[in-house]
Amino acid sequence: MSERFIHYGASAAEQQHYRELVKQHGSPLLIVYKEKLLQQLQLLQQQLPGVSHYYAIKAFPYQDVIRILADAGANFDVASAGEIDMLQKLNISGRRTIHTHPIKKDNEIRAALRGGSTTFVIDNIEELHKLLPYRQRIGLLLRVSFRSDSAKVDLSRKFGCAPDQALDIVRQASAMGTHIRGLSFHVGSQSLTANTHVDAIHRCAELISEIEELTGRPMNVLDIGGGFPVDYACTGIDYDAYFKPIRDALESALPDHIDSIAEPGRFLVAPAVTGIASVAGKARRGDYQWYYLDDGVYGSYSGQLFDHASYPLQILNDNPQREPCILAGPTCDSIDVIAENILLPELKEGDLVIGHMMGAYTYATATRFNSLSGAQIIIV
Amino acid sequence: MKVFTETLYDAFGQTFRIDKVYFENKTEHQHLMIFHNAALGRVMVLDGVVQTTEKDEFVYHEMMAHVPLLAHGKAKQVLIVGGGDGGMLREVLKHRSVEQVTMVEIDSAVIEMAKEYLPNHSQGAFDDARANIVIADGMDFVRDTVQRFDVIISDSTDPIGPGEILFTDDFYAQCKHILNPGGIVVTQNGVAFFQLDEVRTTASRLSHHFSDATFYSAAVPTYYGGIMTFAWGSNDAAIRHVDVQTLQHRFKSSGINTRYYTPEIHQASFALPRYIVDALDETKA
Repeated sequence: MSERFIHYGASAAEQQHYRELVKQHGSPLLIVYKEKLLQQLQLLQQQLPGVSHYYAIKAFPYQDVIRILADAGANFDVASAGEIDMLQKLNISGRRTIHTHPIKKDNEIRAALRGGSTTFVIDNIEELHKLLPYRQRIGLLLRVSFRSDSAKVDLSRKFGCAPDQALDIVRQASAMGTHIRGLSFHVGSQSLTANTHVDAIHRCAELISEIEELTGRPMNVLDIGGGFPVDYACTGIDYDAYFKPIRDALESALPDHIDSIAEPGRFLVAPAVTGIASVAGKARRGDYQWYYLDDGVYGSYSGQLFDHASYPLQILNDNPQREPCILAGPTCDSIDVIAENILLPELKEGDLVIGHMMGAYTYATATRFNSLSGAQIIIV
Repeated sequence: MKVFTETLYDAFGQTFRIDKVYFENKTEHQHLMIFHNAALGRVMVLDGVVQTTEKDEFVYHEMMAHVPLLAHGKAKQVLIVGGGDGGMLREVLKHRSVEQVTMVEIDSAVIEMAKEYLPNHSQGAFDDARANIVIADGMDFVRDTVQRFDVIISDSTDPIGPGEILFTDDFYAQCKHILNPGGIVVTQNGVAFFQLDEVRTTASRLSHHFSDATFYSAAVPTYYGGIMTFAWGSNDAAIRHVDVQTLQHRFKSSGINTRYYTPEIHQASFALPRYIVDALDETKA
C-alpha cells in the first residue's frame, strides 16, 4: 500500500461546504462533483484524441454518474446483466456499449443481446463456442494479455490469451463462421508509466496485420482498456507526459482503418468523488488514540482492501499539536481500520474526516455488513 | 436531433429519426419505446428492435392472420400469443366466421401503451365482444388451457427475450395438443437472410410435431433484410395447397379489404428462395 497522504486544515469556504452537506444530508456521504467528472472525460478526450471512451460502469455503478457521462457523449463498458439493466432503465442504447467480460454464462449473453449490447470479448475457444448460436448478430473482440510490471492491479493474469495464441483462435473462429473484428488488452490498473500500453499497442498492430492477412478481411477496432493512473499519493501526475507515448503509439503504429477505444473507469470517477465521514466515538488504547468513524472498509473505504487504494485524507482542523492515531470504521470487525499510526490533531465527536479521490471501487464494492446502510451519494 | 438505431446486429443497423417520443421506459418485462417518425408514423420498439410501424404493419398483420384463416376456411376459435399492439387482433376479428379470439400477452404495459399511443393498430379491437384478452405467459397458457383452437398465431418478439419460450420444442408440442383437427399454427420467424440459424432451429423443432412444417414469407419494409419468414405447422398438407380459386372464393365472401394480402400472394408466399430451401433440407438430412 502506498504512503497515506494527509492534508491538515481547510479554508473557511471548504469547511462550510462540507459542514453544510452533512447538515443537509447527514453522514456518511459520497459527494460526486459533476464538473470534475466532466473535466476528467475532457482531459482524456484531449490526451487521446480520436479514441472513443467507454466508461467502465463497475468503477462507480451509479445512475446519475452514468447519466452525466452519457449526456457528455461517453459510451459504456458493461460486464454483467445488472449493468445493462441500469442502462436500459436510463434509456441508454445498447449500441453505446461493449460487453467486456471474457467469461460469460449463456443467460448473461442473452441479457446483453436483449439490452442491445452486441460486441463481446473472448479470450479462448470455449468462450467462442458459447457465442456461436448468436454469431449472426454479434461482433467479437479477442483479448490479448500483456503483463505490466508496475500496475497495482494486474488484470492480465486472470484474463487474456497469450499473443502467440491469437492467430490460432482467429483461425478457428473463421472456420466456425465468425469474424473477430478487433483486439483488446488490459495492462492492469493504476500503472504509473505507459510503457506496457505502448508495447501492447505495437504488438497488437503487428497482430492485426497478421490476422488481416490470414483471414483476408479487415479488422476495425483496437480496445486499449483502461488503467490510466490517478493521483492517490497527491504527488502530481504530468498527464501530458504520461499520455504522450500512448498517443504517439496509436498515431504511428495503428493503420487508419482501426478505430481505437478505451475503457476508463478509475480515471473518470476517482477524482470526482469525495467521501465525508464523521467521528462517532473515540478511545485511548495503548499508545494510540482511536477514532471510530461512521464509514470504513466495509463501506466506502472498501477499495483499501479490494483495490489496494490508499485515499488521501483531509482533517479540517490544522492544529499543529498531533499524536499517533488509528482511524477505524463502524463495524465490529477488527479488520475495519482505515488508517493506522497517522498523526492527527485531537478530534471531537462529530468532527468530519474527508476522503479524497473516492470514486473508483469504493461505493462499488461497499458491503452491507452489520446492516449498515452505507454512505449516501449526493451529486453536486 | 434524436435518432433511434436498432440494436439487433453488431455490424449494421437501421436508423430512424425520432420526431417525438410518446413513451420510453423499462416495463416489468422489457424496454418499450413508442415514437413518431415522419415517414413511418408511430413506431413501437421492444428491447431495441422495431416491432411495428403504422406505415407498414398491414403487411405483417394481414399475412399472419389471413393466410392461416383463409387456408383453414372455417376457423371459429383463434389464439394469438403476444400481439400486444392489437394489430393482429384487429385483422383476425375481420373474419365473421371467428367466434372467439383469445389473445395472451405477457406484458400488460405493451397493451396499455399501444391503446394509448398506437390506437390505429387495434382500432377498437380490444373492445370487441369476441376478444378475450389474457395477461399471462404464453407458455403457461398453452400448457394449462382447456380451450381448443383452429388457428394459433404466435406474434412474438425475437427468440432472445420474453418471447424466447415461444420458440421452444415444448411450445410447439403444446400448440399441437390444443389445436383442433385440421388446425394450423403460424409463428413469426424473423428475417431469414440475417437469421438463417433461427429458420433451421424452428424447422427442426416444428417438424417433431407437425407433418407439414414449413415457412411462408413476406417482405415487411421495417424488418430490415429482405423477406421475413412465418413458420407454418399443420398435420394436413392439403391445407397449404388449397387452390387459388377456393382462396379467391373464401376471400371474396369474407368481405375483407386488404392492402397486401391477395389469394395469389397467399399461394405464392409458400415458394421459398433457394437459400432457405437449402437450409430446410440441411435440417432434414
